[in-house]
Amino acid sequence: MSIISQLKKSLPKNIIISGDENTRPFECDGLSVYKQKPLAVVLPNEIKHVKKVLEICRKNKTPIVTRGAGTGLSGGAMPIKDSVVLGLSKLTEVISINPVEQTAIVQPGVRNLAISEAADEYGLYYAPDPSSQIACTIGGNVAENAGGVHCLKYGLTVQNIESIKIMTIDGHELVFSREDEGLGLLALMTGSEGLLGIITEITVKLTKKPQLAKLVMAGFDTVRDCANAVAEIIRNGIIPAGLEMMDEFAIKASEDFARPGYPLESKALLLCELDGSEEFVNIDIDKVLSLLSKAQSVRVSESEEERLLLWKGRKSAFPAVGRISPDYYCMDGTIPKRHLADVLEKINDLSKYFSLRVANVFHAGDGNLHPLILYDAGIPGELEKAEEFGNEILKLCIEVGGSITGEHGVGIEKLDAMCYQFNDAELDVFHQIKAAFDPLSLLNPGKAIPTLNRCAELGSMHVHHGDLPHPELERF
Amino acid sequence: MQSIGEIQKKVRSANQLRITNSRVESDEELLNMTSYSGIVEYFPEELVITVKSGTKIKDINKTLEENKQALPFFIEDSEKTIGSLYSTGGSDLSDNVLGVQIINGKGDLLNFGGQVMKNVAGYDVSRLLVGSMGKLAVITQISFKVLPEKIALERRNKKNKKNNPSSLRKEIEKRLKDIFDPYGVFV
Repeated sequence: MSIISQLKKSLPKNIIISGDENTRPFECDGLSVYKQKPLAVVLPNEIKHVKKVLEICRKNKTPIVTRGAGTGLSGGAMPIKDSVVLGLSKLTEVISINPVEQTAIVQPGVRNLAISEAADEYGLYYAPDPSSQIACTIGGNVAENAGGVHCLKYGLTVQNIESIKIMTIDGHELVFSREDEGLGLLALMTGSEGLLGIITEITVKLTKKPQLAKLVMAGFDTVRDCANAVAEIIRNGIIPAGLEMMDEFAIKASEDFARPGYPLESKALLLCELDGSEEFVNIDIDKVLSLLSKAQSVRVSESEEERLLLWKGRKSAFPAVGRISPDYYCMDGTIPKRHLADVLEKINDLSKYFSLRVANVFHAGDGNLHPLILYDAGIPGELEKAEEFGNEILKLCIEVGGSITGEHGVGIEKLDAMCYQFNDAELDVFHQIKAAFDPLSLLNPGKAIPTLNRCAELGSMHVHHGDLPHPELERF
Repeated sequence: MQSIGEIQKKVRSANQLRITNSRVESDEELLNMTSYSGIVEYFPEELVITVKSGTKIKDINKTLEENKQALPFFIEDSEKTIGSLYSTGGSDLSDNVLGVQIINGKGDLLNFGGQVMKNVAGYDVSRLLVGSMGKLAVITQISFKVLPEKIALERRNKKNKKNNPSSLRKEIEKRLKDIFDPYGVFV
């Protein structure tokens, strides 16, 4: 009996999708250049179905790709050939909210923003806010350790969850909690990209909504002045709720798209949000303003409408760039902030070298870069060129002591880049951890951790050993 | 122990080794980490400090105080080393760990995580090993997120840990121990 027949025999038929046309909507995630149709998609509306799917797939040795809303940007939820996609987006129950403990228990398919909406009546919200928060699910957020613009002050997903329930590939349930004695298994599961277990329930931390939030916008003549202002703000003991930077190209694209009133004459824009009690916000605003002596222009939001409008430009930077280029490729490296201006210069050099435009938006407070490489997939070879450019940016990040991914995950996209960041012995530890949870390698196999062979083939491109491609480019 | 090379040599040659962060009397072969100390890197504007694991917490505090910053997790005894706090620590410490350098039971020097706030490359080994009681690997170096004093002190709440025994959890912990310490060196 085929696996589809077995699934149909044991599960309600209306939760199973099969056939070439029907599975097409699931052939990719947010990294849409890579596509692969699965054998079938199962969309459980009860947890017990999850167990059944695992049992059938285990018996047939069929790979399972767990999926939330499919908004991920690294191909983590892209189906594998001959796999079953286990989509958890129908498990949307907010089980309970405890306003005293400031926690909520939710199913994995609950949307990130839906948690905040449910907690709103208690003056609480769920702090991590990835750009896709309107659509992405909390289960996917945990699997990817999702971030957002407010991480500097409020942390990533890993700091905002209390406990999770997981189902192992063998169908056993386990609870990992912050209070557990022993190893940090909750942290291990967070960001494990669907390779270690299925997340079936999450207890999230809720945060008190701040009394007031104000945004300072400052335009600068040079990127270096803007980067220095970021360092000055932090050195002076201020932890802004958000601290974002945009380069000239991103400023123009966003202004054309959303008309927030950005200073078009500036080479770099700083958005600095302060939140908390009215008294402290105003004290911090004064302090920040005193540190912006090198800014060409400074504006402080006077109303909630103005604050949201100023954010709108930044938050629509991706679609804004999407409007001026047929395709764009979004990178996600992190670097120590002190290298920001140098790295940006190098990215601009690379942009000239590859003849591809790039718009830069950063979570400057935590050194997370999102260069958007503009290309046209209709031109043969241009996608490959954009990917090569992207890989060069990630190598730059490693060279200055950063990471190849801050919040988007490795998925299939950054398997090669993983070889730059980790040596064989470290990658071997990752493979063994995978085997400790999933010895038959059925959960999202081939994602997140490259094989040692793959890295060996890339060996000549390793940042720390051997020759680099494009030796003519100056490096750190 | 003054250098990584010396520690690696000791791990490779030992049958059984107890990692300690205090000068205790014992019959077992000891790996005393207290002399492997010092601040490796600290840039206040990065909100990141990287220290060798034998560094006394009070020495870290002193360096941070000069820049009006502090470690944002509960500290019972600042006479202890940071490595000892890491190996017994809980979620509040874990929340502020950014990266570790370790020597596994085979004597290999490995790095996980890094010196940046956001880093989701590979499994989160630097937080997995918080609370590992020196039984999986020698922790040689740790990077922490630090915060301005006022905010850091507000976040220093003592959290009690709960025993969550299940046979499956124990089995998973055993498999993880075998990955890092296949010969059972660390006791």
